[in-house]
Amino acid sequence: MPGEIIFEFPQQYLYPEGLWLTIQLSVLGLIGSIVLGILIALLRISPFAPLRWIGAAYVEFFRNTPLLVQLFFLFFALPALGIRFSDDAFVFNFRAAVLGIALYHAAYVAEVVRGGLLGVDRGQIEAARSLGLSYRQMLREVQLPQAVRSVIPPIGNIAIALAKNTALAKTIGVAELLAAGDYVEAATFRTVEAYLAVALLYLVLTLPMAAGVNWLEKRLLVAR
Amino acid sequence: MRRTLKTSAIALAAIFVVAACGGGAGTGAPAATQPAATGATSTKPKLDLSSYAYAIQTKGKLRVGTRESNVPFGLKNPATNKFEGFDIDVAREIAKAIFGDVADIDQFIEYVPVVSATRIPTLQENKADLVIATFTINEDRKKQIDFSDVYFRTGQKVLVKKSDNSIKELKDLAGKTVCTARGSTSERNLLALSPAPKVLTLDDYPPCLLAMKNGQADAVSTDETILFGLIKQDPDTKLVGQYFSDEPYGIGVKKNTGDRTGFVDLINRTLISMVQDGRWARIYKQWITPVSGDEKKSPDQR
Repeated sequence: MPGEIIFEFPQQYLYPEGLWLTIQLSVLGLIGSIVLGILIALLRISPFAPLRWIGAAYVEFFRNTPLLVQLFFLFFALPALGIRFSDDAFVFNFRAAVLGIALYHAAYVAEVVRGGLLGVDRGQIEAARSLGLSYRQMLREVQLPQAVRSVIPPIGNIAIALAKNTALAKTIGVAELLAAGDYVEAATFRTVEAYLAVALLYLVLTLPMAAGVNWLEKRLLVAR
Repeated sequence: MRRTLKTSAIALAAIFVVAACGGGAGTGAPAATQPAATGATSTKPKLDLSSYAYAIQTKGKLRVGTRESNVPFGLKNPATNKFEGFDIDVAREIAKAIFGDVADIDQFIEYVPVVSATRIPTLQENKADLVIATFTINEDRKKQIDFSDVYFRTGQKVLVKKSDNSIKELKDLAGKTVCTARGSTSERNLLALSPAPKVLTLDDYPPCLLAMKNGQADAVSTDETILFGLIKQDPDTKLVGQYFSDEPYGIGVKKNTGDRTGFVDLINRTLISMVQDGRWARIYKQWITPVSGDEKKSPDQR
């Protein structure tokens, strides 16, 4: 019957497989982007100017070029330069996707963390220094812990964006969630159901993240 | 509106003048209003009055749905703005069967651009009389439209690097990585092989060629006609093994509910005579031989 929507496909096992890859990409990409993003943020606020320039160059390069181009570069161009992440194409494209997603989102994390670090009251930093704490001690004991509170909600937003951006990994052959939808659509011609299922499964992934961000926002507000 | 009226008035006046000048002969007026029809009247084939082909002949246009950028089958040449290719030449032969063997048959053809997804709707919504666009005949499609006999036959093959001697036939693909386009029939055909190769799916075939160059894939597989195009891009590649799918191309026509009487028959008769008198072989040689290197006399010659 035309217009009838039925979520039953012969190839529906592809969806959980695709969702699992999407989750892996999201989690590994997020961990990578947070670690790298904090390092870049520290470069950005370093008292040593050349380090600040390196940090700024990183942020502007990765934030101002499309993620798709970065993924194509990692997967198609690096081998031509003799750099390969694996001899197996499927390990290669997965690693390229994780790396690309981490590099790209690290630029956003870095900006958020830098803002958090700069938001810490100047007087506290001066007090810590005058008490005899080294720059590293001051960062670890005073500036970073206070920055965490203000950066968690925006990092939550980046995490949600990151989870959705993993869909681009299909262009370098990673069989993630959207790729599963493509396959089912091509095999059944049931476009509406095939992509509606994809959208719902992304929501399964991102709605809890959004709820978590909201909850943290409220909690951190109370604590302040 | 006023302007249109004015122009029509002038046109009418012109016709009267022409008719008046023509005097008793009476040939002047029709010639002025229907210049295309006059020259061909004598050579037009006699068609059954109840047939759909006769309706097309009377209207004076055959509407052909085809692709605009599908070398070497259908291409709108950007330099000349004319359609050309294997599918186009077959369509022209069908037009000749309706309008007679005239030099400039394109005056009787209206090209309707289609893409894969619009081929069936174009026929069902009566926007074209026939669709000739590397259209694989299959059971699902037969439920929605009618097909002519096979006018071109191809199948899926495997492309490897010229230096690769480890893949000679299909069974050598076991454990190898084969690249193809996402969502294609080729992808499903590869996954159905046993033992199945590892299938890397990218968005299109040129990226697959790049992945093979980079060593990320051992082979690229899809319809042979598409692989011909890839060999042109990278001559350092070769085709191996047998066909492992059958892709018979047919000409699509709207399902006959009394409004397409005898049309598929006319197309099929034309195709048969094209094979018999060598017109099919000539078209094959012009469009397909430059990329395939072989010559064929009929679609079923392997």
